[in-house]
Amino acid sequence: MSAPQQPYVQDMPPQGGFARVQYKRNIPARGPSGAALFAGLTAIVAYGWYWNIQGIRERREIRREQTWARIHLVPMLQAEQDRHEARMLAQQEEIERKAMKDVPGWKVGEKVYHTDRYVPPTVLVADNKFLNLF
Amino acid sequence: MSNPDNTPLFSRGTYTQPGASFPEVGASSAPLTSAAFFIGAFCKEYNEDFMLCKAENADPRHCLKEGRKVTRCTIDLLAKLKANCGDQFKAHWTCLDNKNHELNRCRAEERAFNQCVFDKLGLSKHIPDTPKGEEPIHLKSRPIFDY
Repeated sequence: MSAPQQPYVQDMPPQGGFARVQYKRNIPARGPSGAALFAGLTAIVAYGWYWNIQGIRERREIRREQTWARIHLVPMLQAEQDRHEARMLAQQEEIERKAMKDVPGWKVGEKVYHTDRYVPPTVLVADNKFLNLF
Repeated sequence: MSNPDNTPLFSRGTYTQPGASFPEVGASSAPLTSAAFFIGAFCKEYNEDFMLCKAENADPRHCLKEGRKVTRCTIDLLAKLKANCGDQFKAHWTCLDNKNHELNRCRAEERAFNQCVFDKLGLSKHIPDTPKGEEPIHLKSRPIFDY
């Protein structure tokens, strides 16, 4: 047929052709460099270590303060304990005197050791019921 | 409350030689901890005498005289603290009672108490052997362990 035909639409590629299909990998290097990362890491670690060490020093000073408070209290507490022990020893001597008063040649409060230093007693018999027993 | 005679509880009922009773300090641990540095400053000579005497001979009967002086000095100081700075003293040792006797947890009350004691009694707290060039822990303005 040679009659002029209607123009029809065909599914043709766009003008200039299709765009290129990306088939190659595309992972660009971005962000901080290795050196920068290492430097940042070092900085954070150093910051943490610095404050940790400062904290350790401060804890040492706190401990020093606590210890000195206790040191200053030692004489007073020791004096109290000394008086208590002296009382116990006196009571023990009194009991010994009463118990051994009929034994000839018995020296009350005689040292049982061959040394001059004070030896704390192993056993303290210091009870009122022993005072009144003899 | 439970100790009206102000005698140490462990000596209650034990032998007392006639005419030899002696008033003891009677304070509990919190007021003593609170006043420790002031006891160290105020009673320094008596404390040193006593410790030197103990170093000679460990017998308890050897150092009774120096021990009595130490106790008298401590009683004297505690009475002075109570009379002059009673409120701040009580606030500080009450705080210590609640904070496990950790001195670094009661800095606010301690500051007020130390200031009052310095003003009224002229005693100040000094921690020996603090490394030079550092401010002492109780005076540090921005401590790390800040309760």
